[in-house]
Amino acid sequence: MHVPVLGTWIAALLTIFALSFLYKDNPLFRFTESLFAGVSLGYYIGTTLNQTFVPNLIMPLTHDFANNWDLLVPGLLGVLLYMRYLPKGGWIARYALAIFVAYYIGLDFTRRLHGEVLPQLARLIVPLSKFDSHTILYSLVFAVGVLSVLVYFFFSKEQDPVTKRVARLGIYFLMVSFGAAFGFTVMGRVALLIGRLNFLILDWIYPLIGIR
Amino acid sequence: MAGLAQKLLGLDRRWLFLLVFLGVATPIILPIGLPVTTTGPTRSAYEFVEALPPGSVVLLSFDYGPSSGPENDPMAEGFLRQCFVKKLPVIVCTLFANGGLTLANNALARVTAEFPGLRYGVDYVNLGYKDGSAAVMRGLDQDFAGPFPADTRGTPIAQIPIMRGIQSVRDVKVVYSVATGVTGEYWITQMHPQSGTPVISGPTAVGAPKYYAYLNAGQLVGMVAGMKGAAEYEKLLAADHPELAQLYRSTRGFTATKGMDAQTVIHFVIILFILIGNIAYLVTKRSGSIHA
Repeated sequence: MHVPVLGTWIAALLTIFALSFLYKDNPLFRFTESLFAGVSLGYYIGTTLNQTFVPNLIMPLTHDFANNWDLLVPGLLGVLLYMRYLPKGGWIARYALAIFVAYYIGLDFTRRLHGEVLPQLARLIVPLSKFDSHTILYSLVFAVGVLSVLVYFFFSKEQDPVTKRVARLGIYFLMVSFGAAFGFTVMGRVALLIGRLNFLILDWIYPLIGIR
Repeated sequence: MAGLAQKLLGLDRRWLFLLVFLGVATPIILPIGLPVTTTGPTRSAYEFVEALPPGSVVLLSFDYGPSSGPENDPMAEGFLRQCFVKKLPVIVCTLFANGGLTLANNALARVTAEFPGLRYGVDYVNLGYKDGSAAVMRGLDQDFAGPFPADTRGTPIAQIPIMRGIQSVRDVKVVYSVATGVTGEYWITQMHPQSGTPVISGPTAVGAPKYYAYLNAGQLVGMVAGMKGAAEYEKLLAADHPELAQLYRSTRGFTATKGMDAQTVIHFVIILFILIGNIAYLVTKRSGSIHA
């Protein structure tokens, strides 16, 4: 059997095994699930090793140590992370983890502020000087939506009759948002099924019965 | 009536699975060819790329895995085709661990085969995968060679013709992140505020609602959302580039436009399910209250 054909057969059978869970749980589904998890982990390790670990750490250290000796520090921190598996040396890993977490918090904090919080706030605060009915209506709906949802999520004070009504409006905005998210989710999940059935029908069944 | 409604509410869900299966499989076997209408976010993305002068270097990041391939693959391939037709050199990378690199290799193999004159290293390059999304973007803002010292073939970045004159991500004209999960958001919230390089996002449909907030705030120049967005992009490509129109018509491979027939049918089926389920629920509730 030609290798691509063998690959198609394996992929087709594994797809059917995975989908068989829809009928009921069975050993073939369990086998496929475990195989998928194992292959994914192996792929991840292999890719990280070949694409990140070797070119960004091993190669610079072995080819030009004098200019890259500082890479020993992150390399050592990486090794320390695995100390958690030592029965008595587990605490050492916490130092590496602390540096790792602190680095990403520092990196993320300001850029999250400038990349997410401030632009979204700026979008909320628009000048009303532009007498464009569409812009004003759109901005008004936007502002009312944001404020009413914020009121709904404000739990520090008991709601009075006014804030209760505003919070109720916030719930409606949230429901519209969840509805849109649900619609997109359905579309996304169906797209995956389309991809699999497209493969099964056009790449596996059709060649099998001689349709090109 | 109440008895039927009760039966419907207790229907074995596997019958619904079977109907969904038929709803998807039938249009694949018997294509309908329903029209695709384009929307603003997709047009903005497409027109931004169309307006770039030949020779402008762009970055395409494959930030997704096989699990969302049917949605994301047509986006990436459509963008690559547009760039190659427009003579825009493409730097390819991936920040998604599970499968991103393989999908990038596959997409490049498929699309470059359609353009025989392309030269690796001049018209496109594959820098491969790098771990640590946000940290990689921080590095890209300073120097490509930091996170990506070499391409997937092991060629040092300084020796790759396309990278001459490209010091950092600030030197590329646009970043297109075809993404699932948070990596696509990082390009908008982490890379864009720092470097100012325009971003186009190609999220899966599941992630799309969140990206609308970025789009409305002007943090994105365009968005290609889910399979529908990819089908719109294909339509725009086919309308402006006859050679691509011919390709999309004749290809035996999967395209988003082909998938939209099944999407439409299955949406109709699901809306029907929701209506029947709600009517059955109301009928049962009413008859229950009468009995009480």
